[in-house]
Amino acid sequence: MARAASLAHLVKDAGLAALVALGVGAPLLGLKTDAADRGLTLVPRPGLLLAAVAAVFAGRLLFGLFLANRRAAAARVADAPPRIGPSPYARIGRMVAPVLLALSVLLPVIPGVGRYEIDLGTLVLTYVMLGWGLNIVVGLAGLLDLGYVAFYAVGAYGYALMAKFFDLSFWAALPLTGLFAATWGIILGFPVLRLRGDYLAIVTLAFGEIIRVVLLNWTTLTGGPNGMSGIPRPTFFGLPFSMAGGEGTFAGFFGLEPSPLHRITFLYYLILALALVTNFVTIRLRRHPVGRAWEALREDEVASRALGLSVVAVKLTAFATGAMFGGFAGAFFATRQGFISPESFTFIESALILAIVVLGGMGSQLGVAVAATLMIGGFEVFRGLDEYRMLVFGLAMVAIMVWRPRGLVSSREPSVSLGARRSVGGEHVAEGKG
Amino acid sequence: MRFGGLVAVDRLSFEAARGEITAIIGPNGAGKTTVFNCLTGFYRPTGGSITVTHAGGARFRLERLPQHRIARDARIARTFQNIRLFGGMTVLENLMVAQHNRLMREGARLPLALLGFGPYMRREAQAIDRARFWLDRTGLAARADDAAASLPYGAQRRLEIARAMCTEPQLLCLDEPAAGLNPRESEELNALLRFIRDHGADGHGCSILLIEHDMSVVMAISDHIVVLDYGRKIADGAPAAIREDPKVIAAYLGVEEEEALAVDAALHRQ
Repeated sequence: MARAASLAHLVKDAGLAALVALGVGAPLLGLKTDAADRGLTLVPRPGLLLAAVAAVFAGRLLFGLFLANRRAAAARVADAPPRIGPSPYARIGRMVAPVLLALSVLLPVIPGVGRYEIDLGTLVLTYVMLGWGLNIVVGLAGLLDLGYVAFYAVGAYGYALMAKFFDLSFWAALPLTGLFAATWGIILGFPVLRLRGDYLAIVTLAFGEIIRVVLLNWTTLTGGPNGMSGIPRPTFFGLPFSMAGGEGTFAGFFGLEPSPLHRITFLYYLILALALVTNFVTIRLRRHPVGRAWEALREDEVASRALGLSVVAVKLTAFATGAMFGGFAGAFFATRQGFISPESFTFIESALILAIVVLGGMGSQLGVAVAATLMIGGFEVFRGLDEYRMLVFGLAMVAIMVWRPRGLVSSREPSVSLGARRSVGGEHVAEGKG
Repeated sequence: MRFGGLVAVDRLSFEAARGEITAIIGPNGAGKTTVFNCLTGFYRPTGGSITVTHAGGARFRLERLPQHRIARDARIARTFQNIRLFGGMTVLENLMVAQHNRLMREGARLPLALLGFGPYMRREAQAIDRARFWLDRTGLAARADDAAASLPYGAQRRLEIARAMCTEPQLLCLDEPAAGLNPRESEELNALLRFIRDHGADGHGCSILLIEHDMSVVMAISDHIVVLDYGRKIADGAPAAIREDPKVIAAYLGVEEEEALAVDAALHRQ
């Protein structure tokens, strides 16, 4: 009885939507102007209009049915006794990380994978690493940072300048770029110690822009808008990659045919290693008092202070650690591209990295990795759609956020447990106001 | 303590003796929580001084210490009137955060700790043992791996006390610990507080400073009561004496003006 009534209601609702579609569509779709010999003529298109109205009717009806079904299912779940033990989803979820890891390690040797795929993999991994770095600041410590790209820029320019003026190799410069970026993280951290939420976001946004504008205008040092070129490529522990082959090169040393693929594959494994180091350090730090203090700060700053946590130290370590990984990624970016300019470090990059963290589920390492793959990989997949790419992409993001409002992986893994480890539901975890 | 033109706590002076439960009572707005906030560094008093003397003889001037040192060095822990737990973290993690400063003494060996070796691991095992001890005392052992926010209200109150005790305090400040508890829970709380007073975190006992509106709790467990009204101390003494004090009764019951004058006159005659 109730079912029939609700069906009638749904049909009425869909009819209403179709009526609106008819009203809007009649002038827009139903009539077409044609430039004929004697001025414009109106060509009616009743078929198209009818199809559009029918599509709206059917879509609305199906959507209504879907919602009604879901409500009924939810009611059934509420009545059912709570399920004990891990859900099948959780079991599948545990498999995702090892499978992704194996896939990324084996990617260059998978048959059919060429230069384009490895290059794309490198790009994705760069963003995975940046996402993991920002995840420390935003996801763990709950500090909304909109200027993360500044540390990426510091790393990239740090390496380029060190190579240019001090002739440092990539391997010698890498730790220093991390140190530089961490220092800048602390420099940013000090003035924003007392700021929270929106105010913090605005200042970090400004910080990111300041770094970019300085790079743009300090022409004598950074080359300004022309950027810096001729950045040395990385070597395989001292062996350069060269197409000429010969004694002292990678190909010559291992007796291989010189190939451009060597360097690309090496760069891929380099960023994979850097990203895995980021992941490892983050996972270990979460189980360390420093990491627990970050999460405590996100959950409740007042309680943290009452327990003797120095908020200054906690915030600065979070900024510095996050910035350090951004710096490493920047140095990698510089050596991969061989050319950098301020254009690579605009606000949209910060926004993209933040979107990866939010979409992945703040604080979740796996979620961030999946989100980076979806966002950067998806961006490439939709390349064929030309001008509709951004539209499709935006819709996909909206859909994900509607489906999973707290990100792909919203639950939180406890850092220590007495019994079996159980994840904490996303509804309990704070998003941080700092 | 002065906020602009308002004097929230005025020339208040009292002592909380070691190994005793001292209750601060008074009507709403009397300045009780402000006293706590001054003690624990959330406010910096505009005048006066607050001194803590440890059992070992070490003295700390609280109004001069940065806030994180009040908990770390002066060893004062507190709970909040509106419970403040790390809701998304598990019960055990809440207790581990409380031991942050002790765990960080191995800070210089951080790389080793990150790899999972070194003396840090032993320290962490000790911290887990300490957490387990307080979980047992507060009856939360079965919920150790649940999110703190998912606990029922009474358990959250007990967890907040357990968390404060994990900092190994010399003085524990409790802001309305019995608020919202049912009579049975309230009785358990009294037993817990007596245990803390006598044994403390390290077996040597711990002084307790308590803000409470539930007079049955206050009268049952306090060794000493301080009564505030409008930021001033109006009485100070043993529970039996406070119960009889006409000024306290007047402040609590809100007597008519003539009656108050009569009480005043009676007091002056004495």
